Amino acid sequence: MPEPVALAAGHVWGFLSALRAAGVTTALPKQADLLRVIGASPPRDLTALYWYARITLLHDVDELAAFDRVFDAWFRQGGLQDIVPPPAGESDVPSPQGPGEDDPAPQEVLPGDGTEASSLSTYGRRDFGPADERRRSVMRALEAAWPAVLPRAPSRRRRSARSGDRLDMRHIWRRARRHDGEIIELRRRARPPRPRRLLILVDVSGSLRQHTPDLLRLAHTALRAAPARTEVFTFGTRLTRITSALSHPNTGRALRAVSGQVTDADGGTAIGTALHEFLSVPRFVALARGALVIVLSDGLERGDHTPMVRATARLSRLGHRLVWWSPLACSPTYSPATRAMAAQLPSLDHLGGVRDLSTGLAEVRRLPAVLSGLRRAAARRWSTPRPTGTRS
Amino acid sequence: MVPGGSFETPEGSSVAPGESPVAPGGSIATPGGFSVAPGGSSVSPGGSSVAPALLDERELAATLEREGYFADEGLCTAIHLALRLNRPLLLEGEPGVGKTEVASVLSRVVGRDLIRLQCFEGLDAGQALYEWDYPKQLLQVRVAESRGQEVGDLYREEFLLRRPLLRTLESAQGAVLLIDEIDRADSEFEAFLLEFLGDFQITIPELGTIRARTPPIVVLTSNRTRELHDALKRRCLYHWIAFPEVDRERAILRAAVPGLEERAAEGLVRAVQRVRGLPLLKRPGIAESVEWARGATALAEGGSPWPVALRRALGLLIKDEEDTRLLLGHAEELFGDA
Repeated sequence: MPEPVALAAGHVWGFLSALRAAGVTTALPKQADLLRVIGASPPRDLTALYWYARITLLHDVDELAAFDRVFDAWFRQGGLQDIVPPPAGESDVPSPQGPGEDDPAPQEVLPGDGTEASSLSTYGRRDFGPADERRRSVMRALEAAWPAVLPRAPSRRRRSARSGDRLDMRHIWRRARRHDGEIIELRRRARPPRPRRLLILVDVSGSLRQHTPDLLRLAHTALRAAPARTEVFTFGTRLTRITSALSHPNTGRALRAVSGQVTDADGGTAIGTALHEFLSVPRFVALARGALVIVLSDGLERGDHTPMVRATARLSRLGHRLVWWSPLACSPTYSPATRAMAAQLPSLDHLGGVRDLSTGLAEVRRLPAVLSGLRRAAARRWSTPRPTGTRS
Repeated sequence: MVPGGSFETPEGSSVAPGESPVAPGGSIATPGGFSVAPGGSSVSPGGSSVAPALLDERELAATLEREGYFADEGLCTAIHLALRLNRPLLLEGEPGVGKTEVASVLSRVVGRDLIRLQCFEGLDAGQALYEWDYPKQLLQVRVAESRGQEVGDLYREEFLLRRPLLRTLESAQGAVLLIDEIDRADSEFEAFLLEFLGDFQITIPELGTIRARTPPIVVLTSNRTRELHDALKRRCLYHWIAFPEVDRERAILRAAVPGLEERAAEGLVRAVQRVRGLPLLKRPGIAESVEWARGATALAEGGSPWPVALRRALGLLIKDEEDTRLLLGHAEELFGDA
């Protein structure tokens, strides 16, 4: 192979590795496409090469910015060392950021001054306490309410049915055999409705300390009502899957099992990081796809809220509906004015107030309206100051 | 129709996605490692207009423009590559930027039939690929019975109902297939498309595998209301259609609205670009700005002064009450100089 060609080939190959290092996922067949195209019709200029690369490699507009950065660095400036990672420590996953210099030292944080939403990790376990009689009755009502409100979709598999859009030939012939081959009645096949998955993400950080037990009980009722279709995760400074721990039929035992598993209860908040952690596991992403996603959190994100907003937007695109229940929204004077909440409002289908079991029950009963309404309607509802109570 | 249902692939599809010239170790395909035979890939011998795979991006842009579609360099490259590599093209973008239009213009340019599959919630394989015609089979049995004949094989091609994807494969000169708003279909539906998009073939258990006679040109569109599976995206070329820049939008308006004056078009395009910068619930696409220009022109011909006509025709640009209120708050800066 002549020298310049080898050089160019090496350069393109380096560009592909740099993309991977920058977190832009490109599948091998797509890389093959790029190389094939470059070979078949050599790009006229840099712009043409840019479009070749972008169209063959990119598969999501969200990754466009990162892609552009790498392309510019690699082809337009030649400043390679900025992008190329040292070969030894190559890693596909950016390392999580440690506490930066702008984080206040733990000693300076006073209780009650609004700094509970710190990035400080605690490893405290917590007993979530017993439920009283009133709680138990609300929980029974919740358990009865869930199945009726869960969204349904036609299942993929057809079953024999009295009415439907297709003939059930197998059934018809079987019946015909009994009547000397005479077809007396037609049977059909239909797609019976099947409940969609329900995904509940519960914030257990310190700012929700007083609500956490009730929020977990709420999740527990959902799990009891639809055990096969419900998944529950908690997040504070990290993500924990508690579906199996919470699935014990006895609430007290379930909560005890959860408190044994959740080690970041009442600690700091890193909603963006936790949601990102959730979305980076393909197995978990599959749980969110087409599901009713409910996030129980106050949305008080500390520091840069961009990761959280992006994660919410992605969650919203994955799910059937994305509902956000915040204890703060129970207050009649609440408006989603914090920058994080305002920025992610356009991704939400509904923003409701849940701080305990009875407000939870009210919101659960409101779900059918959310499910039949427009997508991403939260911004519409919250954008103008509500004339008291008439628009809810 | 070939008995047995399996069709030969023309040699033009030697760029089938399956054969990858890249080894993970890092070797690069040599130019000889694959072939895109001129004329062999996507143009049928009787193709009426142009050999689209032979056009480079600029010629393609000019051809599209003659058909009234103003594509920027990125989109032209995307179409060029889709034709060249025989790959499906996935177009994403906000509603009203002309995603669907790409397919219909393309079908006119290459002189092939346009087959359209509109996706919706609950769409299944029976509506998209093929289905057995059960009532016809049932009647066949009854007819054979009454004549005292053998029933014979009930799973023959004459009992097959051809849905858009299968029709595309069987089209002799290769069709242009538009799979519109794929994000409206359930995510499970995407699985039915994978075999088709990857190899342009469909496997029917009773008949065998049906391959495309001529590789079709496939355009998928999505409004990005939900995220598509990686498996689907991996099989497609991807292009995000952004809102057009000022010059291109002016060219579109000039072509679409004959009576529009140059100065008026200038101000209108500027206004639309500013409107898109506002935090609206739904940002107006090209379709809306064309409608707005048409409406305002009609009103202006009826005697309204231009800025007033613009304001009165606003309902054609903005179709949401809250957005309209927001816009009227900025009315001065938007229409004042128009």
